[in-house]
Amino acid sequence: MNGSNQTAIEETVNSDNIMIEMIKVSRTYEPNITALSDISLSVETGEMFFLIGRSGAGKTTLLKLICNMEVPTKGLIEVAGYNINQLKGKDLAHLRQKIGVAYQDFKLLSERTVAENIAIAMEVSYKKPRAIKQRVRDLLDQLLLADKHNSITSDLSRGEQQRVALARAVANSPRLILVDEPTGNLDASTTKQVMELLNRSKMAGATIVIATHDASIYQQSTHRVMELRNGAIHSLTRGDQ
Amino acid sequence: MNFWFAVFRQTGRNLRQTWTSQFMTFLTVSLSVLIFAFFYLIYTNMLGTGDRLSDDLRLIVYLEEEPGSEMKEQLRRKIKNFDDVEEIIFVSKAEAYEHFVTQLGDDSDVLTGMPENFLPASIEVVPLKSLRGYNQIKLFSEYLASLPGTEKVQYGQEWVERFYYFTRLITIVVLLSGMLLILTATFMVAYTIRLTIMGRKDELELLRLVGATNSYIRTPFLLEGILQGFMGSVIGLSALYCLFQWISVHFAGPGILNLFQFNFFSFRVILLIILGSIALCSLGSYSSIRKFLKF
Ligand SMILES: Nc1ncnc2c1ncn2[C@@H]1O[C@H](COP(=O)(O)OP(=O)(O)O)[C@@H](O)[C@H]1O
Ligand SMILES: [Mg+2]
Repeated sequence: MNGSNQTAIEETVNSDNIMIEMIKVSRTYEPNITALSDISLSVETGEMFFLIGRSGAGKTTLLKLICNMEVPTKGLIEVAGYNINQLKGKDLAHLRQKIGVAYQDFKLLSERTVAENIAIAMEVSYKKPRAIKQRVRDLLDQLLLADKHNSITSDLSRGEQQRVALARAVANSPRLILVDEPTGNLDASTTKQVMELLNRSKMAGATIVIATHDASIYQQSTHRVMELRNGAIHSLTRGDQ
Repeated sequence: MNFWFAVFRQTGRNLRQTWTSQFMTFLTVSLSVLIFAFFYLIYTNMLGTGDRLSDDLRLIVYLEEEPGSEMKEQLRRKIKNFDDVEEIIFVSKAEAYEHFVTQLGDDSDVLTGMPENFLPASIEVVPLKSLRGYNQIKLFSEYLASLPGTEKVQYGQEWVERFYYFTRLITIVVLLSGMLLILTATFMVAYTIRLTIMGRKDELELLRLVGATNSYIRTPFLLEGILQGFMGSVIGLSALYCLFQWISVHFAGPGILNLFQFNFFSFRVILLIILGSIALCSLGSYSSIRKFLKF
């Protein structure tokens, strides 16, 4: 359906070097909570970008703004060259198929199986059932969840659910992956598996934004790290600095 | 192609998840179709019978005495004054007697000794096809009775009267059952689909977030309505057909059914009922989609 639009999005992704453009973005909640104020930020295509800060600093809000789950009170947000707040209907749907999000609260369908939960992201872009099956098995293998394929999602531990949420986010090979606290409930070795999966996606060309508390996953890297404090940018450094 | 595959898969999931209420809706729709179609079948057959009856409908005006040719012309003019008619036939006393003799056939010897002019002369008036309604026939007969030199007018008054009243009653019942069908089909389907949508709010929300298009989300529900309408009407009509067959077999032979010459719906009417039911059920599902899936 509407193939021309999809290719238009892809072309922009390839031709433009900037995946996320935010200019003076603010978000306030009633009555007078300022979740984010005056955020300006560019994330390059193919970059892995870390977002840190205390609980309540505004990390989740920033990710929600990027995927148009929330709308900014002020400012401009462009994703892959599109003003995401002006996209509607099919165009918005097609752009969202290119954005994978692992939500902090997972948003898994608790009565469905693990495989079904992951498949949803691929079904909406009409991938073939065989391809979906293959991809789901691969991802579960990579995340050490192969034996949970047919488990009902609500029966899993939080750490397992977290990985299912991540698997769903990367399943459709999106161009942009937003991950909210991906390692919060994981031990060191599972954390390593998760980061390997995200690195593989980055190798494949995806842009990745990770909101985290966990210093261990960015400290040794050369990736950019932005710290938020009370909704404002406190610092923007490299992980190894 | 892939779109429709996805839509059918999703529709199957919907049906599986809420199959009890789906089944109830399906039963209600079939029952409404059955009730409506039952009365509509009676109605169409009555109309057919009515047509046949009024084809043979003629008013017989008995005259006090044999009219002369002048008088015949006058009567003819008077009758046509009221309304144009299909045909006017004068029957003289002698013709009436002859007619009677042929009717009696072998038994005609009972007439031996009777004078050949004991039957009255009469006029047979065949009204125009447009003069159908019971009231019009009645008015016409009253007019004919008021003509000078007439004795009485006959056309099977009681029979015609009852028949027309019955037709009117059936018309009302058909309209009522039609309304019942409209209400149940639209509301029950709207209700079940609302139930499905409510039960899957999380999933529909998530589908939007992962980039499902509106048609991906909505079409399965519309399809569900179409399916309900189709299945409901097909089963309802099939049940009526079985009933019809059963009655035909068990009440065959001389009787009121033979007089009516009962027929089942034509293919066109069957198709129309199915399409109507589909349209109503789709309308019901569409209204729920509009109300609960707007974004
Ligand atoms: N829907 C909302 N309504 C009101 N306040 C909100 C809402 N979402 C977030 N906030 C507030 O915005 C601030 C930033 O929250 P959040 O982005 O979730 O922080 P983080 O993810 O860094 O922990 C917090 O003070 C939070 O209470
Ligand atoms: Mg958060």
